[in-house]
Amino acid sequence: MNALTTICGRELSAMFRIPLGWIVIALFACLSAMVFVRQTLIPGEPATMREFFRIWWGLMLFLCPAISMRLFSEEFRSGTAETTMTAPVGDAAVVAGKFFAGLAFLVLMLAPTLVFVGVLASLARPDYGPILSGYLGLILLGMLYVAIGTLASACTGSQTLAFLGTLFTLLLLDLLPSRLAPLLPDQWAAMVYAASPSERARPFYAGLIDSAHIVYFLAVSTLTLTLATIVIQWRRWR
Amino acid sequence: MIQLHRVSKWYGAGPPKGVVAVDDVTLTIPSKQCVGLLGPNGAGKTTTIRMITGFHPPSAGSIRVHDLDTIDDSVQARRLIGYLPESTPLYPEMRVIDYLSYRAKLNGLNATRRRSGIAMALERCWLKDVQRRRISELSKGYKQRVGLGGALVHNPPVLILDEPTSGLDPSQIRETRSLIRELATDRTLVVSSHILPEIEQTCDRVIIIARGRVRADGSPRGLVDQIQQRGFPHTVEVGVPPTGRERVHRALASIHGVRSVELEADRTTEQWATFKVQPKDDVADLREDIARSIVVLGLVCRELRRAQPTLEQVFLRVIETDEQRAESDARRMAEAPA
Repeated sequence: MNALTTICGRELSAMFRIPLGWIVIALFACLSAMVFVRQTLIPGEPATMREFFRIWWGLMLFLCPAISMRLFSEEFRSGTAETTMTAPVGDAAVVAGKFFAGLAFLVLMLAPTLVFVGVLASLARPDYGPILSGYLGLILLGMLYVAIGTLASACTGSQTLAFLGTLFTLLLLDLLPSRLAPLLPDQWAAMVYAASPSERARPFYAGLIDSAHIVYFLAVSTLTLTLATIVIQWRRWR
Repeated sequence: MIQLHRVSKWYGAGPPKGVVAVDDVTLTIPSKQCVGLLGPNGAGKTTTIRMITGFHPPSAGSIRVHDLDTIDDSVQARRLIGYLPESTPLYPEMRVIDYLSYRAKLNGLNATRRRSGIAMALERCWLKDVQRRRISELSKGYKQRVGLGGALVHNPPVLILDEPTSGLDPSQIRETRSLIRELATDRTLVVSSHILPEIEQTCDRVIIIARGRVRADGSPRGLVDQIQQRGFPHTVEVGVPPTGRERVHRALASIHGVRSVELEADRTTEQWATFKVQPKDDVADLREDIARSIVVLGLVCRELRRAQPTLEQVFLRVIETDEQRAESDARRMAEAPA
């Protein structure tokens, strides 16, 4: 556990040791504010953040690969993987530490948007339930996306490849239900819907919290991270 | 103590198709010994080191560090090792002191031991002046010291350094070498290098590796004594004026077993002439014969010595025999009917 937090802490602080980490968060906060003002803060409309979450959901397809691409690839490229992998730390702890750093960065990017909830509250009386579940949905979806990104990053020393690999996987997962499912027989279509993370996240934005969906995100993320650990172990044997 | 028992490592498909990096190596390195792994590039030094540190598991055989197996008790074994990989990978955005702290935490040191470990690493690797600087701002020599400090911060009983002076300038090399010598006093040290003086000056024991196998193993002096000391030139300084030198030359050249005699002009004065006597390849010592012939001529001799082989010559001979063996192997393979 100690090693996990050490690795997570180093990884996260690496993103903020250079000004770029802060600039990215600031730029993103501006972008979110613009979206919020244009899409949500409309006089006469209901005080919900549904539209805001829908846009964030799309942004995460690009954001998560960008956050996760460096986690392992950078270490393989610079050679620091050799010191990390010869430290007295299990491979699973290394993978988990890196994953939590990526997830924490995503949550930090999301944090400034809480201001918008305050803005809504000062102007109207929003329903806090759907807002809360919306944030939970974003974090769960982000968790799975960052896990997939961690796996891609563990597979290659090239950050570009890790980014593209993650992006294409996420796009595929996101588009599959809308493009493929209508062509399939009902049974298969149901399976595609059940396996799709974006379909699983959709109810959260509407204010529905289903424990089955939470279990799905936790289980698939754990599975993906286990795969990443196996990849790291396999790299040792190569 | 480090024990390698019949260790092999191959990449890809394995023998006979894959690349064999290390081939059936058995070694024991006792505690507190300073060992130099020496070999040409691609000989298998880094692979051997990576297997000891647990970065790669061996394809066959077993490695034990202080009686802990590097596969079965991998994490415990790694705790005993401080490792500086080749090319000294570091995190450029970190400050020196943060990096040392990170390495200490990774090794599970608590706050008290961490503080003392960092202080020790800063002190022993001469890093106090730069402890607040970012690693990216440091010179290559300083980066090397930061890497060494990182390997040392948990005060491991075994320290493994892969090519610790590669890419440094001569004064940085001198500094790093003296640091390594100092570190070697109280722990087991394994240093790999393809540069001879580095090993010769720092290690008690030299292991020469070529094509994945141990080709020679012993103290630097012992290895020099092991090789056949035949065919090394003799130098003799004779008190003779320029007019008598032709006569001396003839006398030396007529000694049985001499291949050639040369007057060394740059070491010759009005009264003293220095000759270099090259014996034939199978002749070891001509000193008595040379002394006798000078006395017979009625002259005096001020110096007479036989060149001593250096570790470099040992190394080159080992590598050359190895290359010849490889060539003859290849020829045999080519001639063998398919």
